Amino acid sequence: MLHALSIKRRRADMKKKMTAAEKNEAMWGWLFVAPTVIGLLILNFYPIFNTVWQSFCKTGDFGKGNVFNGIENYKAVLAASETWQSLWNTIKYAIVEVPLSVCIALVLAVFLNGKIKGKSLYRTIFFLPMVCAPAAVAMVWKWLYNQQFGLINNILGTNVAWISNPKITWIAIGIIGVWSIIGYNMILFISGLQEIPGDYYEAAEIDGATGIKQFFNITIPLLSPTTFFIVQTRIIGALTIFDLMFMVMDKTNIALQKTQSVVYLFYQYAFTNGNKGYGATLVMVLLVFIMIVTVILQKAEKKFVFYN
Amino acid sequence: MKFKKFGAALLSGAMAASLVACGGGSSSGGGSSSDEILINIWDNNQKEGLQKIADKWSEKSGIKARIEVVDWDNYWTLLESGASGGTLPDVFWMHSNTAQMYMENDMLLNLDSYIKDAGLDMSVYYDGITTLYQSGGSQYALPKDHDTIALLYNKAIFEQYGVAVPTDNWSWNDVQKAAAEITQKSNGDVYGFAVNTSNNQDGWYNFVQGYGADIITADHKGTTIGSDKAKAGMEMLRQILEVSAPQSVVAETGTESLFKSGKTAMITQGSWMINSFYTAENAADYVWVELPYADANGNGQEDAGERVSAYNGLGWAIKADESRPQECFDLIAYFCSEEGQKLQAEYGVTMGGMKGVSEAFASAFEGMDVSAFTKVEETGTLYFRPYTRNTTVWEDAIQKEGAFLDAWLKPSDKDAMAKACENAQKIIEDAIAKE
Repeated sequence: MLHALSIKRRRADMKKKMTAAEKNEAMWGWLFVAPTVIGLLILNFYPIFNTVWQSFCKTGDFGKGNVFNGIENYKAVLAASETWQSLWNTIKYAIVEVPLSVCIALVLAVFLNGKIKGKSLYRTIFFLPMVCAPAAVAMVWKWLYNQQFGLINNILGTNVAWISNPKITWIAIGIIGVWSIIGYNMILFISGLQEIPGDYYEAAEIDGATGIKQFFNITIPLLSPTTFFIVQTRIIGALTIFDLMFMVMDKTNIALQKTQSVVYLFYQYAFTNGNKGYGATLVMVLLVFIMIVTVILQKAEKKFVFYN
Repeated sequence: MKFKKFGAALLSGAMAASLVACGGGSSSGGGSSSDEILINIWDNNQKEGLQKIADKWSEKSGIKARIEVVDWDNYWTLLESGASGGTLPDVFWMHSNTAQMYMENDMLLNLDSYIKDAGLDMSVYYDGITTLYQSGGSQYALPKDHDTIALLYNKAIFEQYGVAVPTDNWSWNDVQKAAAEITQKSNGDVYGFAVNTSNNQDGWYNFVQGYGADIITADHKGTTIGSDKAKAGMEMLRQILEVSAPQSVVAETGTESLFKSGKTAMITQGSWMINSFYTAENAADYVWVELPYADANGNGQEDAGERVSAYNGLGWAIKADESRPQECFDLIAYFCSEEGQKLQAEYGVTMGGMKGVSEAFASAFEGMDVSAFTKVEETGTLYFRPYTRNTTVWEDAIQKEGAFLDAWLKPSDKDAMAKACENAQKIIEDAIAKE
């Protein structure tokens, strides 16, 4: 209590003592952050609050005539089985994408951080999917997966309905996600690896530790802040997936019901059917879900992440 | 020092301004300069021909008109955000799926007084298209074109398997027999026919209507898709589905690609797709014949009303708060004049929205006979593409699980198709109740 009071007083003192030069500086400070702040307010905050508002409305055509109807949308959304199915589909996608992309990227990063020939060439190759437009990536994979003419079935000599069989489509879609994101995760891991002091490895080598032992006892613990960052951002990214399902699967695809993500369902309602209120409610549900996941992750951080 | 400060302020100000501009302007229909009329359409196949017609008008009027193409899906997103934000293009296409919504919300210019001043006779256009673009007794768009459906077959496949090729006098039963023969003789390597649940206007709608039921009744407030007549039509389709490409194949590859890659002998297609097949690699093998008739009474011959084809027509519309309404109206009136309509057919853009101007269209594609699309208007009955106020909601729903997709997946199951018809009846009724 006393401490807080003293801080308050100190702040008040500072206010009084603000000289002309300091005021000037503060003004410039505000001016310099203004573009970002204004951009955030207009492009992010306004739409966010508008979405919250719309989720409580029966929305009219062309954004006109929105009528407040309380929690009707929420009742409808939460009662619909397709909402929960799509949420489960989204989770399934995340289960494929996040662990695989993190593990593979970590292994690649360790190799590409060592001394091998053509390192930058490999790094470029693995990073290339990040440079491609997601829509183009999805189109290429759509034809690779094609049951009749697809390259994958042709090479393997199989006849698998990769993107039409509800039992495996979620994995097939997840693999595209993994392929697209590995390069990005890898770059983050490499930068994390370069911050680990070489002394540890030297000492371990003198003690006779093998490469694998070094990896598990030095690299993984010291890399955990980077790993945590990647896992958290990827989980959020995976939960908001839309473009892969949208581009790869036709709307008459039988596997769609068992694969479509929450955002896909949102698109269907808000833009195809023109029911903005229902769509807004769907993304609110997703928002709450992501918040819960984030809280759990933050709790986990304290336990698993090792800050040097 | 002063100069530096000034420069910094200027820079940050410009950045802020550009950010704001991004927020507000991203939904506009492209920045048109003030002296030019901006036209938005969604079909790239039509751009060249329509621009030529627009240029002819520009020569006379001295006002430039520029056509911009936005693909179908983005077109409606763009138009909707443009309508919400007041930045619609000057002139644009309307479609039956959405026209009611745009008209009722006063997004389109009321053309009544302009039509009166220009002395336009609206009776020369197809009735269904004219009335489609009416709301509250006023006209909001001029009929641009109309389209019909025909059967397309690959004669190389028919020759290879020694099957008699389709003619203008075929019924759906004949299609079924030929499709069965081809699928069987090729051991499933080539499918006799291909149709997806999403091939509605160009596919199964014509079965329902041909057997005497209505997808949407004449008052746009109901449906008879669950009736016995509709079930009879879909039962005919089911028999064709049994010998057609499986649903998973048409969903993954698409009927158009299947046909073009020689995996399917027959498909039904709309006249708006001609150019796509005309410019295909094996176009020489492709032949159009009239859409088969529905032998509803089973007497083995064609009776009146048994040959039906869906038709639809786009409309030329102007935004409600247009600053130069008279100029824009003159432009769309030229597109819809006899001269403009004949040019449209001659350039192979589309058939006209005006009656009796489409003969030139039949000969617009050198080496490919597309008269099947115009002949059906004399030999058959046209019905307008089914629409209600918010068509997309039920139109999408009946293509999916819980409706016709269930039946498509089990083509051998007679009851599944009947059940799908009943489900569709309920879906459409529920959707209309919510409109």
